Amino acid sequence: MNPAVLLTDGLDPVVIAAAALLPSWRSTVRGPDDILEAIDLLPDVRAVLLSTTDPTLLRAAVERSRLRHIPVLLACGDETARRRAVALRIEEWYTPPATPEEIASRVRSALSRMAVSGAELAERVEKVAYEEMLYDPLTGAAALPLMIERMRSLIRERGELAIFYLEFVRSGKIEEIYGWEKLDGVLETTMAAVREFFDSSAFHPVRTMTSFIHDDDIIVFHVPPREEGPAAAGNIVAGAARLQHQVRSRLQAVHGEDIAELFDMYVGHAQVYDTPKLRLERVIYRGVRDAANAARSVEQRERARRVADLKQVLHERSVYIDYHPILRADTGAIFGYEALARGVLRSLRSPEVMFDVAAEADLLWELGRLCRSRALEGMRGRLRGDQLLFVNADPHDFTDPAFELDSVDPQRVVIEITERTAITNYPKFREMLRTFRERGYRFAVDDAGRGYAGLGSIANLEPDFIKLDISLINSIDTNFIKQNLVETLVGFATEQGAMVIAEGIERPEELETVKRLGVPLVQGFLFNRPERTTHPGLADSPPEQPGAPGATDHAPDRPQRSREEPLDQRD
Amino acid sequence: MNTEHALPILVVDDNHDSTEIVRHLLEARGYRVFVAYNGDEALEVFERVRPALVLLDVMMPGRSGWDVCRIMKQHPQHGRKVRIMMLTARTAWDDKQAALTTGADDFVTKPLSLVELAARVERNLALIERAS
Repeated sequence: MNPAVLLTDGLDPVVIAAAALLPSWRSTVRGPDDILEAIDLLPDVRAVLLSTTDPTLLRAAVERSRLRHIPVLLACGDETARRRAVALRIEEWYTPPATPEEIASRVRSALSRMAVSGAELAERVEKVAYEEMLYDPLTGAAALPLMIERMRSLIRERGELAIFYLEFVRSGKIEEIYGWEKLDGVLETTMAAVREFFDSSAFHPVRTMTSFIHDDDIIVFHVPPREEGPAAAGNIVAGAARLQHQVRSRLQAVHGEDIAELFDMYVGHAQVYDTPKLRLERVIYRGVRDAANAARSVEQRERARRVADLKQVLHERSVYIDYHPILRADTGAIFGYEALARGVLRSLRSPEVMFDVAAEADLLWELGRLCRSRALEGMRGRLRGDQLLFVNADPHDFTDPAFELDSVDPQRVVIEITERTAITNYPKFREMLRTFRERGYRFAVDDAGRGYAGLGSIANLEPDFIKLDISLINSIDTNFIKQNLVETLVGFATEQGAMVIAEGIERPEELETVKRLGVPLVQGFLFNRPERTTHPGLADSPPEQPGAPGATDHAPDRPQRSREEPLDQRD
Repeated sequence: MNTEHALPILVVDDNHDSTEIVRHLLEARGYRVFVAYNGDEALEVFERVRPALVLLDVMMPGRSGWDVCRIMKQHPQHGRKVRIMMLTARTAWDDKQAALTTGADDFVTKPLSLVELAARVERNLALIERAS
């Protein structure tokens, strides 16, 4: 038998000595130009030891070694190399200088790791992974192939099957705003509501199965019983509105109004017939595709309708404003209000949806102007003492030649910069900020700590207020990493001379935690319901007592939450 | 022995010295400790003993700590219950963000301060106790 080859990319005497320590091994050295070819073609290579710092070469070497089931070892001179090794899942590494003995033992360990991954251990892990593929871990919903298997005999017996595709739009938006933990919760609630709907309706549970597809859309299979005509299945389509309503109200009860309003669902339907000539799986997959397309065309129609709705909103100035109180964490006194515009039309109730539609129809400037001017109008005479008004503006708004804030009292207004669109022209943007600052306006940046955005870009805008991203506040009382991040942000804000606002506070535990971390200002549904202006077609409601619950013409039938009556913890 | 100490803890690190030190520290405090030296092994032990708390090294050959954390947190039965502490050499902003997206609950910076490590283990177990 030929000796095993330790292929290496550098002429390192220690590595050569290490190969000599391994019985019936030898080393072969290849330069950076030839190493990849050697990995592919050189016979008897059993391990590759690299010292390269070139990430591209390293990646290619690892990929090619994997194809031949050869373990890779990396000499990691620094932290960067080690991080690279982790990212590439390299089998083994060491920190030079190392003795030949250590390197030899690392080679053995890399080989054993490679051997183990083929063995029983990996098989068991794979089995777990396989089971995870068959069931959605979040809701336990079966995957499509499993559904087909389970329903096969029923379908054969009946000869047909109804497929319903429930398409959810904006689930990505929920995740973007509130974080993945929230979306997980929303999907669980959604699935439970969908199941409940089918269980309580005429659809016999045995004959109806639900599955997740593409992570958030839901497919429902229904095989009508023998005694029913095929038309009965069409009931679901007729019931789609009822289903949508049921899911929405459940979401509102569990996750609050803002999330419920972001939720949109479109139902598409396809009828599939089983014939012996065609493979059932194929027919079903085609049916799923047809149902999905049908759902999408409903969505397209709805979008067009919403653009028309938005034009009407702009024409009639029919947005109303929710004033969300911002409180001092220590005393609970109202520090100010954030103005959030909502469409009067049901389809545009959610500000996120309204601005999405405006972006699509290229009406962002117009909508921004309307919302800001109504926010200022509605607040006239409402602010007490030194309370402030927070008004949202997107960087895109600042490119509007007609951008203006027409406040009689700029010292009372904070412009909250929400980055729906990225800032493209930084110098010009800063120049705009400066002119407004000179007139007395103050600034807040939204969503600090979201994703990988560094603190540098926040510092650049020299804000007076920094709003923490909602995803950081959700369950902060049990997550120590979030606590640490918020602590860092509070320290950073203090250095910048800015005040931190924690928004999205829903539970007393979350409030206690952010208070302990030194956050001075808080906002969220744990506190009072927002105050509202009435329908803009009518006169604005008279000024109310600050802190008192607002007008209730749009308020949902949900109990009001106040600081005196802390929320029950819902889990 | 106190019952709270009977909660199983899984320590995962490819460095044997490091796992031995941590095992010693935690066992001396009455905890039940299981050890794994790589990601696959950790998942296997996880499946078997359903630990209440996992101390997970980020930098491991093969499957990284981030991957292992994500898989554990997605476990259909036990994913919601387990708390995971990442052991990381750096605690840069990005690392913490990465930790959040994998579902980790806490982190400790390496090189480990044993006093701090013990305190963190305790505060995580206290939360588990409260939740159950």
